[in-house]
Amino acid sequence: MSSRRSRQSTSSSRITDDQIIELVSKLQQLLPEIRDRRSNKASANKVLQETCNYIRSLHREVDDLSERLSQLLSTIDADSPEAGIIRSLIM
Amino acid sequence: MKARTGYSTSLKQEFLKKWIKGIRIYSNFKKDMNILERKKAIKLSADLAIASTRNASTRWSRTLTANISKNETNKIFVEQIFSDSEVIKKEAPSRLMARSNRIASKKIWRRSHITQIKARKMGPYAVKARSIAKKLVKNRTKVLKSLVPGGENMDGISLIKETLDYIVSLRVQVDVMRRLASAAENSTRLGLSSKCSVHWLQGIFTVLDHWCAMVH
Repeated sequence: MSSRRSRQSTSSSRITDDQIIELVSKLQQLLPEIRDRRSNKASANKVLQETCNYIRSLHREVDDLSERLSQLLSTIDADSPEAGIIRSLIM
Repeated sequence: MKARTGYSTSLKQEFLKKWIKGIRIYSNFKKDMNILERKKAIKLSADLAIASTRNASTRWSRTLTANISKNETNKIFVEQIFSDSEVIKKEAPSRLMARSNRIASKKIWRRSHITQIKARKMGPYAVKARSIAKKLVKNRTKVLKSLVPGGENMDGISLIKETLDYIVSLRVQVDVMRRLASAAENSTRLGLSSKCSVHWLQGIFTVLDHWCAMVH
């Protein structure tokens, strides 16, 4: 693919170029932004940026969902039959 | 570290079972919780559960568990959760980065950085552009390392592999939490007659219980 030879390629013979390309492309495939467009042209910078954004948004979602669930469990009318069922499962 | 996709139901089931077990233990611990405490219980249990699905085989999961256990109040709770299963391994101090890892790290970002190839044909301005691009990648890698638990000591291929696994696990966590939240929300919001919503809820929780039982 690339005609450029790295002088260090012999010492890292266990890690092949193909492995590296495969890993980066796997990462690309996970990212929603890049996957939807033509993925071949994404640069390393773009992949890194999207990865960080994605992880941050997943963190935020976990936080929001925890809050949502906490509110749901608190607002369920304590005497209702629903509360009994949820409580038996979770508490 | 085995690679895995996040699509297997058994992984979601395992997470759900451990998550709910954690919430139960926490609730027995602290009887009357306010909203904030309950949120903490839910989130903590979720994080411990998703980390534990990896059985200490990835760095991010070991670091996540260790970080949670560092807190004194959490420690007792964590010990209770893991009492019947895996031991909390103490995260070993990081080894020096293998040279091949460092080389691989440079290789990765070089190989996929297309603008570099163009720059070489262009002259002095291009050289400057290339160094800026390098700095950008370096800074972004730093940010990624701060986002993945235990990432500061990783480099090269390890970082990418751990990131891949971490993202897959986060997606499982979000997916299951989302389903539980919508299930609970729908039943209370629909304002159906009490009988209907109970029936609906029972249906959902039967499935969830069934899931939990299956993992045994």
